[in-house]
Amino acid sequence: MKESYRQTDDSELVKASIAGDKLAFGEIVERYRRMVARTVKGMLGDSVFAEDIGQEVFIKLYYSLSEFRGEAKLSTYIQKIAINLTLNEIKRRKRFFSMFSQKGNSEMYEFEVADHESEEKRDSGELVNKALMSLDPRFRIIVTMRMIQGYSTKETAEILNLPLGTVLSRLSRAQEQLKEILEKL
Amino acid sequence: MKHSELKNLIIGSLDNESDNNSVVRTLENEGISYDFRDGFTESVLQKIMADTDIKARETDFLRSMRVAFNRIAITGVAAIILLLISIFIAEGSLTLNSFLGIGDTFDEGIISMLTGY
Repeated sequence: MKESYRQTDDSELVKASIAGDKLAFGEIVERYRRMVARTVKGMLGDSVFAEDIGQEVFIKLYYSLSEFRGEAKLSTYIQKIAINLTLNEIKRRKRFFSMFSQKGNSEMYEFEVADHESEEKRDSGELVNKALMSLDPRFRIIVTMRMIQGYSTKETAEILNLPLGTVLSRLSRAQEQLKEILEKL
Repeated sequence: MKHSELKNLIIGSLDNESDNNSVVRTLENEGISYDFRDGFTESVLQKIMADTDIKARETDFLRSMRVAFNRIAITGVAAIILLLISIFIAEGSLTLNSFLGIGDTFDEGIISMLTGY
């Protein structure tokens, strides 16, 4: 990426991207790819589908940049796109699996870990991902926002466009469900 | 970190007041970090450029179609005007009969033409 864009703030990058500067948009992708990865991979697991959805998030962002009015933070705007696309993918998978499976609610679970990671670290990663994948998607999104992204409950409510009370009650139910899941793992 | 500690950390991270930035850091230290593969940014930019190329080609095609349509439409309108003028000059009016080429034929003339009497 162009070195000069490293210090540029988001609003300038957005303006340059709208004007057709691909390098400026590349800097936006570099800046927020990990944030998107945490949401998408936290929700879908570490799979090739997650990579595709991640790319789709930024492609959608590129074509909707002219609609971004700067009222919210760019990160919040990107986060909302990532959540919507991920939830759509979960719905699509559910429909797909309900056509071929008796259960109807199973989801494809893939988890890839780099070979160089130690056995212990691989186990930890696997444990977290298995626990997340076993959660109901309504709770999984809240847990991803809190545990993987590190957002506060207020920020989570704002991003998910939910009342704070709903977020708190879902968090408490997610915690109960997670306890049961982790006991079995 | 032992699995039991990790499990407690996960459960604790869902408490309302917990400082989750430290949880995120701890998880990252445990190797639980999320990122896309190398070359992700380049793939995104390539896809966008490919899309832009297709859109530019589509726009060019639509523009050519519009120019072609305009030319055909203008030529068509000119031909219709010329036809109307020539009919008017030949028949002296623009009635239906003039169009059918029977402007100065009387009914009797047609009957005698058809019956031969």
